[in-house]
Amino acid sequence: MGIKIGEEKFFERVEKGINNDFMRKAVAGAQERMQGRRLDSISTLGNWEEWRNLAEEIRQHTLENLDFYLEQLTENVIKNGGNVFFAETAEDANDYIKSVVSKKNAKKIIKSKSMVTEEISMNQALESIGCEVIETDLGEWILQLDDHDPPSHIVVPALHKNKEQIRETFSEKRGYNKSSDPKELALFARETLRKDFLEGEVGITGCNFAVAESGSISLVTNEGNARLATTIPKTQITVMGMERIVPTWEELDILISMLARSAVGQKLTSYVTGLTGPKQKGDVDGPEEFHLVIVDNGRSKILGTQFQSALQCIRCAACINVCPVYRHVGGHSYGSIYPGPIGAVLNPLLGDYDEYKELPYASSLCAACTDVCPVKIPLHNLLIEHRRVMVENEGKAPFAEKLAMKGYAFAASTPTVYNMGTKTAPSVMGPYTKNGFISDGPGPVKLWTDIRDLPELSKGKDKFRTWFENRDKGGN
Amino acid sequence: MTIGTAYNKDTFLDNIAKSLGRERKTIGVERPKWKHRPQYEVFKDLGQDELLDELEDQCGRIHTVCKRTQLTNLPHIVKEVIEELGGKSIVSWKDPRFEEYQLVEVFNEFANMDDNKFHVWDPEIGEENIKIAERANIGITFSDITLAESGTVVLFSEKGKGRSVSLLPATYIAIIPKSTIVPRMTQAATKIHQMSQAGRIPSCINFISGPSNSADIELNLVVGVHGPIKATYIIVEDI
Amino acid sequence: MKVSLFLTCLADVVYPASVGKSTVEILERFGCEVDFPKKQTCCGQPAFNSGYHRETKEVAKHMINVFKDAEYVVSPSGSCTTMLHEYVHLFEDELEWKQKAEDLKNKSYELTQFLVDVLNVKDVGAKLEVKATYHTSCHMTRLLGVKTAPITLLKNVEGLKYTELPNKEQCCGFGGTFSVKMLPISEQMVDEKVQHITETDAEVLIGADLGCLMNIGGRINRQGKPIKVMHIAEVLNSR
Repeated sequence: MGIKIGEEKFFERVEKGINNDFMRKAVAGAQERMQGRRLDSISTLGNWEEWRNLAEEIRQHTLENLDFYLEQLTENVIKNGGNVFFAETAEDANDYIKSVVSKKNAKKIIKSKSMVTEEISMNQALESIGCEVIETDLGEWILQLDDHDPPSHIVVPALHKNKEQIRETFSEKRGYNKSSDPKELALFARETLRKDFLEGEVGITGCNFAVAESGSISLVTNEGNARLATTIPKTQITVMGMERIVPTWEELDILISMLARSAVGQKLTSYVTGLTGPKQKGDVDGPEEFHLVIVDNGRSKILGTQFQSALQCIRCAACINVCPVYRHVGGHSYGSIYPGPIGAVLNPLLGDYDEYKELPYASSLCAACTDVCPVKIPLHNLLIEHRRVMVENEGKAPFAEKLAMKGYAFAASTPTVYNMGTKTAPSVMGPYTKNGFISDGPGPVKLWTDIRDLPELSKGKDKFRTWFENRDKGGN
Repeated sequence: MTIGTAYNKDTFLDNIAKSLGRERKTIGVERPKWKHRPQYEVFKDLGQDELLDELEDQCGRIHTVCKRTQLTNLPHIVKEVIEELGGKSIVSWKDPRFEEYQLVEVFNEFANMDDNKFHVWDPEIGEENIKIAERANIGITFSDITLAESGTVVLFSEKGKGRSVSLLPATYIAIIPKSTIVPRMTQAATKIHQMSQAGRIPSCINFISGPSNSADIELNLVVGVHGPIKATYIIVEDI
Repeated sequence: MKVSLFLTCLADVVYPASVGKSTVEILERFGCEVDFPKKQTCCGQPAFNSGYHRETKEVAKHMINVFKDAEYVVSPSGSCTTMLHEYVHLFEDELEWKQKAEDLKNKSYELTQFLVDVLNVKDVGAKLEVKATYHTSCHMTRLLGVKTAPITLLKNVEGLKYTELPNKEQCCGFGGTFSVKMLPISEQMVDEKVQHITETDAEVLIGADLGCLMNIGGRINRQGKPIKVMHIAEVLNSR
């Protein structure tokens, strides 16, 4: 469990993704709409690059001083009457959450969307002690009803499902008998979940950003489920990844403004809620008890390394929405709850290189992700860095590749060898060349020509070098 | 488990400091003066009237009905909007501004008609308020700060200003004094930052931009999921 | 003005000599004195992108030496020019080489970038009667930041009817070793690219990077489509 989803191997998952026509059409359509909306929504901000620079500066400063800001946050949460639990591992976090729930004798838990609780497999932990955990984000609820189908996108978790499939799930699991019109489906979810909300004993949320200066946590939704989960239950547990923190409300403004735009192309989501401790004296609604669980789960291993900038991530999924690889293979191909470019960077770090060895290579390094990232994570560079670590430190590179690269480097830094190679290659390829193209090449060229032709190699008079030399000698 | 406790803090934070390759920092970190400040440029030169135009424009994009009125005509407009939203049952904040803006009479008149129900949030009756709000057709609040750029009303919770009023009823009305309109979230954040420096901030601050919605099913936008299905802003020319 | 041509290994080995020839002739037409340092090889990108950075450094040092006396280095490739610029990061720990890398970065340009930004040429006086579209290669657009120069030049080619490619900034699926390591994914990407090119009704696909052109052209050829692939240098040298 944890971040891993499914048991299939990488290329099996990819093949499944490529053959899923509905998913691919949905993803391509979503990418185009999201990109359009994102561009439209950032246009009112003026100089977007300035905003990115500011956001990067904020994230870098906060990470460099993370212990200080977490300490400040803790002091303020406690001052407000809340509890803070620091969880080094997923197990620590789940044990604490289970103990809070058990003390309350709570059976019905309502939950608003949270990636970090997915990451620590919190639902399963709570279910193991007999609790019913109800996802209230519409997309997450659909997946939960559909026998825990894993999410395929950070922001739109059920992007891979069509409305007919959703209608079937609703009717099979909840006796729904109306149409597949999204309006009717959503209304059914509203009515069903409203009852659950009113009976919820504990509300569990993630945390978009905690604010150190006031001990607040902020939650961003369009549906309003995070508000319900923090308005009605008597106990609130908020689980946050330790890096999701800003110094003050002034920085919160910047990151929320950029998150909403980058994630869904909105200037702000319908609801942005700042919660500060349990309810105050005289308040009627809101939790009586507030617990903040701060999760490490592998993050401190990233801190202080060349991958630290990955922790700048605000989980907006903008990189996913522009990624051409994600576009064709879909979220499940990444084998993790974190898909797309940020997933390819994070998974080998939060998981390991054995499990996710293909992901750093599942990128053409087109840098669309780096270009779009609101907090300026150099995503494609981090993917190259993963490759370097696998080659140089982990010893994971195939022997033949190592040999080839050593040979290449020798040739490319020794002109005589390089020239000999470029002169010999055409005659090696000669027999395979037909009408100026090679369609069924030998050795390393074989894979290339599996799907496309290769232009013939130039030789003799056709070579640039020959032409240029002759020219020097007065020829043309 | 006592309330107001931190567990495992020191080992956890020591570990972070170790990863960062330095001693733990408990004091002395100053928030730097950020090199870039683009947030103050947005709508910088707009006057209150122009901000109002921007707000109205944005409402069109967030499925929110927007009405403008002079103070004198406010009761009439509120009555009209209540009728448009189907009347029946209303829950409102307990907020002196309703009296100031002469809306109490409209509410009384409404409450006295047919089977209508009108409830003012009453801390004395505790959770009964939530049940009433859950059954109500309309929730009404004032806006404490209003953000022109995003079409957002900012609500500070308090004893009489329950969170449920803007959340549980089927529809929502926000009364927006023109004087509360600022360019964007930046100005609200600055104010909350100052409140925080001066002491405690409200336990719940909601930034609401239109009705609840979702695009989780095939990216089709559906308005009204867990929160209100419709939202109406009534902007009052108070300055 | 003295210009040293960095041909790139692809232009060196595949295809006839026309990409290099055209580059030289265009530059000369605008008064440049072009030399070709014979010891040049490859920019090192295959090793760099595969994570073999020790090996890349050997190549980079060689290339830095090859071009150390050049006044300008111009290359008919956005991607390889980007790689020359990348040397600066490669030598983060070797300050002497870092400085040399910085010098190389400051004087190296992609061909269209050099024409527009340095020589201030917007019209090369080329003539080509075709319906064409242009593939904006990723490294050139996003990493080198050259977005408008090729379009400016193409729009001034007499007789050339330019249609913008749908989803023009989307990667063609080349990505060096990606094109074989991740063959099934690369195939989907190049298929979509060819589909978009077909939609424009273009007779010629133009690009500024031979890697992308080999990939797209190879797929077009495999599918038997009547679309010709040309490097932008060849187009700009047509008269």
